[in-house]
Amino acid sequence: MPEETVDVLIVGAGASGAALAWSLADTRMNILCLEQGDWMDPVKYPGMTDDWEARQLGDFALSPNARGRREDYPVNDTDSPIQTSMFNAVGGSTIMYAAHFPRFHPSDFKVRTLDGVADDWPLDYARLAPFYDINARMMGVSGLAGDPAYPPKEVPLPPVTLGKVGETLARGFNRLGWHWWPSDSAIVTQEYEGRAPCINAGTCLLGCAQGAKASTDITYWPAALRQGVRLKTRCRVREITVAGTGMADGVIYYDADGVERRQKAEVVVLACNGIGTPRLLLNSRSTLFPDGLANRSGLVGKHLMFHPYAMVTGIFDEPLESYKGPTGCCIMSQEFYETDRARGFVRGYSFEILRGFGPVSTALWGMQQGRMPWGADHHQAFGDLFDRTAGMVVICEDLPDSRNGVSLDPDLKDSDGIPAPKIAYRLSENSNRMLEHSVARAKEVLEASGAQETVAVAPLPFAGWHLMGTARMGSDPRTSVVNEWGRCHDVRNLFIVDGSIFVTAAAVNPTNTIQALALYVGETIKKNLANLFD
Amino acid sequence: MSVDSDDHCFSADEASTLASVLDEIIPPTGDGRLPGAGELGLASYIEQALRKTPELRPMIVQGLADLDEIARRRHAQRFVALSQQEKAALLNEQGFLFPLLFHIYVGYYQNARVLTALGLDPRPPHPKGYEMEPSDLTLLDTVRRRRKLYRDC
Repeated sequence: MPEETVDVLIVGAGASGAALAWSLADTRMNILCLEQGDWMDPVKYPGMTDDWEARQLGDFALSPNARGRREDYPVNDTDSPIQTSMFNAVGGSTIMYAAHFPRFHPSDFKVRTLDGVADDWPLDYARLAPFYDINARMMGVSGLAGDPAYPPKEVPLPPVTLGKVGETLARGFNRLGWHWWPSDSAIVTQEYEGRAPCINAGTCLLGCAQGAKASTDITYWPAALRQGVRLKTRCRVREITVAGTGMADGVIYYDADGVERRQKAEVVVLACNGIGTPRLLLNSRSTLFPDGLANRSGLVGKHLMFHPYAMVTGIFDEPLESYKGPTGCCIMSQEFYETDRARGFVRGYSFEILRGFGPVSTALWGMQQGRMPWGADHHQAFGDLFDRTAGMVVICEDLPDSRNGVSLDPDLKDSDGIPAPKIAYRLSENSNRMLEHSVARAKEVLEASGAQETVAVAPLPFAGWHLMGTARMGSDPRTSVVNEWGRCHDVRNLFIVDGSIFVTAAAVNPTNTIQALALYVGETIKKNLANLFD
Repeated sequence: MSVDSDDHCFSADEASTLASVLDEIIPPTGDGRLPGAGELGLASYIEQALRKTPELRPMIVQGLADLDEIARRRHAQRFVALSQQEKAALLNEQGFLFPLLFHIYVGYYQNARVLTALGLDPRPPHPKGYEMEPSDLTLLDTVRRRRKLYRDC
């Protein structure tokens, strides 16, 4: 069979790859996506089994290193206080994300102008707003209009249930006069586009067997596939190849049997997340690009941003039904979001109220905290904690720092022998001060809500699930990797649409913005099809 | 030591020691409401769990063997025959307990008898899910009256 050249080759079928595939589908171009993971079978998600909580520490652990699935690749994150979390499958990390779906604030795109730190984005909130709206409809976002923390925005579905946890904490916020609002959640609360509504199972991080949580395998992909986009699973791309012209001409990948194959393409789009994308670019070395593809700026892999998280848990003296409801979506507070230099740091953070622990997690959390003795006192200790914890995570804005980044590990490889990524990451002084401030405020609001005791963990070691900034956008090729619509400065038929292109991190979960950007890039590609490479 | 069999990593002696250890870790409640971990057959669950963490297995097996050996040396009896106080004192000295605790807690708190005794439905969360009361959104009244919090730009 002669070697086929596709018009557009997308690498990665997660949050951004799916949104871009759908966006480009109406062009009727020949579009192919290669994904190293497989389709998930929701019937096999942990929430359908008795040992569902234990599986959070096994085949559905947050870290790919802990899971050890063939579809995942290892990440050397020993040189970081925050360990990485990601998932490889059709749907990518949306399979196991909490689906907390806030937008960025307008100020998040103007941090240099407003606060004198980092860099402004080459686009603004108004430019992305229509794509946030499209994404809300495609993913099925629930929430409530009228939040004073945001410009007016579209929210298609009513909010997730607050439950006793949400209402208890809401009263605490009200006592202090602090902002809170029902969380924007990519979880359908009513029947929506053939998806059944949320049943409050509390298993969001383990895949949603109900299909209420929006993972892209059940949102964008079915729509894109209906329009003729093709998706090949268990295909792991090793490198992007370059023609003598300096343009990308395809990829080399390993299929499910580990056989090396080649796929040619007119346009290549990377949608591999903030670690997978720089890894792939750095693995794509050639005479023309000896330091990695599209890396003449030297910035590929640099400026890795996580969000430093804290988790602050309150122990209450009454049952809260806290194991019911979406795991990470309840209410959110942005009282401390915008910069106030009197606090001792720039930028800010969000509080996201969580549901409580199930029985197994209660026992293990109690053990970690030294509150779950064995022996005669065990049952009393368990009874004091189970269904009596509620708390929150704090998401602090991370600012880009060139010392933080992704490189290739000299020894570690994935199951196909491809060099694995290595993370180097430190918390900045600004982040440390912000974490300290946020933990104190979190304790204050938990106490105002009636908590008898509070327990804080900061930074939260396993919370490296937001991967941003490692191929950032900008108008200057010397200080950025892609331009304002995701096209690599150095390779004009190579695009990046994942969190790598973030200039700054904001202080909210990034998936909604990643997808809005991917839709924006798709729209811009369509507008410029006639002279895409000029 | 008997780590040679794939099906059972514990000898009969080690298995009976383990059952005794389990009841020390999570004893039954005095009112009989909650069972002790020893009577739930968790030993086979722990064997399975240890098969998934082979690096821990020798330490646990050795730890159980040591319990008996020390019990014999100090009290001239097997661990299972010691008094509750003697068992607790001996267990407190043993470093292998922490990883074992982890498996015991996981096994215990996903057991149907335990869940029922805690007043929970002994079933997975899906497909039935949980009923919740409708939200009281009047709590938002004060927040709605606030001026905008975001910056125009």
